[in-house]
Amino acid sequence: MSDEYASTLVTDETTLGERVASTVIGIGLLVFMLSVLAVARVVTEEASVLGIGLYDFLAVGLLTMGLGVGVVGVGSALGAFDTTPDQTPGTVTAGVFGAIAAAAVWLATLQLGVLGPLGGFPVGLLAGAVTFVGLGLLSEDIGSTLPAVVVAVAVSGAVLTNLLTPAWLWDPEWLSAAFSGSMTIPTLTAAAALLTAWAGAKAYGGYGSEGRQAGAYLLVALNALGMLAVLLAVILFIVTKGIGPAFEGFSLYPFDWPFVLNGYSFRPDVVNGVFPAIVGTLYLVVGATVTGVPVAVAAAVFLTEYAEQGPFVGAVEIATNGLWSTPSVVYGLFGYAFLVPRLGGTTSLLSGILVLGFMLMPLCLITSREAIKSVPDEYRDASAALGVSQWETIKSVVVPAAMPGIVTGVILGVGRIAGETAPILLVMSGGLRDDAPNVLGSFEFTSAPPFVANDALLQSAPALPYQLYATITSGVSADNAVEYGWGTAFVLLVVVLSFYAVGIATRMYFRRRLNYE
Amino acid sequence: MSNTTLNETERTDEPQTPRTTTVGESEETIRPSWRQYDFEGDPKISVSGLNVHYGDDHALKDIGMEIPEESVTALIGPSGCGKSTFLRCLNRMNDRIRAAEIDGNVSYDGENIYRDGVNLVELRKRVGMVFQAPNPFPKSIRENVSYGPRKHGDIRTGFFDRLTGRDDRQQRDRIVEESLRKAALWDEVKDRLDENALSLSGGQQQRLCIARCLAVDPDVILMDEPASALDPIATAKIEDLIEQLAEEYTVVVVTHNMQQAARISDQTAVFLTGGELVEYGDTDRIFENPNSDRVEDYITGKFG
Repeated sequence: MSDEYASTLVTDETTLGERVASTVIGIGLLVFMLSVLAVARVVTEEASVLGIGLYDFLAVGLLTMGLGVGVVGVGSALGAFDTTPDQTPGTVTAGVFGAIAAAAVWLATLQLGVLGPLGGFPVGLLAGAVTFVGLGLLSEDIGSTLPAVVVAVAVSGAVLTNLLTPAWLWDPEWLSAAFSGSMTIPTLTAAAALLTAWAGAKAYGGYGSEGRQAGAYLLVALNALGMLAVLLAVILFIVTKGIGPAFEGFSLYPFDWPFVLNGYSFRPDVVNGVFPAIVGTLYLVVGATVTGVPVAVAAAVFLTEYAEQGPFVGAVEIATNGLWSTPSVVYGLFGYAFLVPRLGGTTSLLSGILVLGFMLMPLCLITSREAIKSVPDEYRDASAALGVSQWETIKSVVVPAAMPGIVTGVILGVGRIAGETAPILLVMSGGLRDDAPNVLGSFEFTSAPPFVANDALLQSAPALPYQLYATITSGVSADNAVEYGWGTAFVLLVVVLSFYAVGIATRMYFRRRLNYE
Repeated sequence: MSNTTLNETERTDEPQTPRTTTVGESEETIRPSWRQYDFEGDPKISVSGLNVHYGDDHALKDIGMEIPEESVTALIGPSGCGKSTFLRCLNRMNDRIRAAEIDGNVSYDGENIYRDGVNLVELRKRVGMVFQAPNPFPKSIRENVSYGPRKHGDIRTGFFDRLTGRDDRQQRDRIVEESLRKAALWDEVKDRLDENALSLSGGQQQRLCIARCLAVDPDVILMDEPASALDPIATAKIEDLIEQLAEEYTVVVVTHNMQQAARISDQTAVFLTGGELVEYGDTDRIFENPNSDRVEDYITGKFG
């Protein structure tokens, strides 16, 4: 009976193969990250790691990985390690390596200058096909490690033998682009390191379904990390560039933060700030939220709770999706041509609020509908069985239960509109100025309808995204436009993230009310 | 009991002709007497000629049944036999299913609840319902129990009521305590009434749902397999509770557990596939000496 099982059920120790494979993965992640940093020019070819040049270090790391993967692959095939490889490496693996082989052979013929630019192409295709079929005949352990070894050794060999140097340049006549060694080397090492680390992960899992699981885990986890890295890169970049100008003249005691608290006074002796734009952005976002969100939530309630699925609901759904994908500049143009002439004839804060409110509506509607739909029908049944009317049920049970989802929609929508530039450019476009828009203080009673007037709402107001665009492109302040722009970008980032934080806190509050935390 | 009348239009005593014809293509002849249960007093609910269609599906076929008050009536039968549909007809919860077409006569205290002008709020206050899966609202225990009375305006605890000194928190707390006591849950939750109801165990949640239903002061409690999602201990508690409730309320309970029906019910109605009421009578008689062969097969497990 026990003979039927090739592998043991319980293994306590890590085997030699696993240790080699995990070392390969570790080196692979290091080489990959350094390569990406080199591609992004955060580190340059002059940098050195452990006393050797960066590119040589990458090549040595890659060579080590290649040898390690070779050991675990061949060792598995010879039966030295306890693994469970499948019959073949699988069509996807074979296909990927076939494509790599095709590209490599084609590029090699181009480099050697034989067969001409197109003559090498069929040769490459043939090489790819041979690789594909050949890999299909190998067992999984050899089939998925050996090509990775070849790639790793080829790339590292080219660098270590100085075939590829940072000074290397390939400028094909038939292509407008040129490839420099300082970019090509890290690109190749990054790709090769990823491929080899994946092969290492497969070996770590002992091939078979567990090996594929380990390989896939490595790749998808790297994608998630990449996402985080992009976010961090953007934030760090803007913070490092903008924190200087934003904190110019900052003092804690007596408290003063001129960049945030001052307006733009066009005077050389004081720090010019973005206070009016911050206030304008706040009015804009709060105003748009107050205009757009109630309409969207009410419409979502009607569509989900009252309306029967039919042509009308279908039409509204299509309209919402259409509105959501409408480019923001089109909203802006609509506001410019329709709202502005009707609201005082000049670009104004009110037009900006309305246009952004329109933009906010479709997303809030879609997310609110989903949130309301996901409220269990059991709640509605329970309430109906107590004789409670539909509206009371919606008010006291359905909407509270859907609240976290609705708030999520508002968070996403506000994130979108807070940084929106194109519509503001057309309908609000306030220039640099010294004083903040005073909406709350400008309400006045008039003797004619509508009996309330507010000048500040009907005047143009500055907003951070538009001001950023204006200073960078037009150079209104010629002396320090770039610094001022970075400072503005930093403040905009902080303002948007603050909106985000407020939204998340609100959502946590509603979630806590629903759950027993 | 509220003084609002259930039936807003003028009351007319429609003649209730019990249907005694044989329905369906069953092989054996169902004698009308098998479906008649003689008891003393007026029926709390009497059903006659009730047919329900879901589109082309004839879910209930010409059901006639009289349910005595302050007792437990069990509805048993295999899945898809229409027993839950029948239950949901008794407080018109089937109205919420758009595809359902219902015709026939369902009388509550002698008034047909399917005629025009029936006040659904009043009906569902008097004929409460407990569902298969516990479904407390994601609110505190106190809010769950006081939800019905608050929504019906029987207790006032709102901001303006507090402002004008008209709020009756004592009244609310009294209703909450009384309902939870009747549902045999008070001792377990009295110290944590403000905790979220979802923090309770499944059995406690179901008893909370019963308390929530009792808080609106119903006459009749309909239960749709109230213990099928619960473990044996919680089930036993629910069964004890049902027997206690029958002293004061008319309980109609759907179950697919025949031992449960035998343990808790005073009379049992057996529905079989095709939406027919095959036999109705005293529980002991149904389980010991059923008239219909099909019912005997079902009860002894030969068919189901």
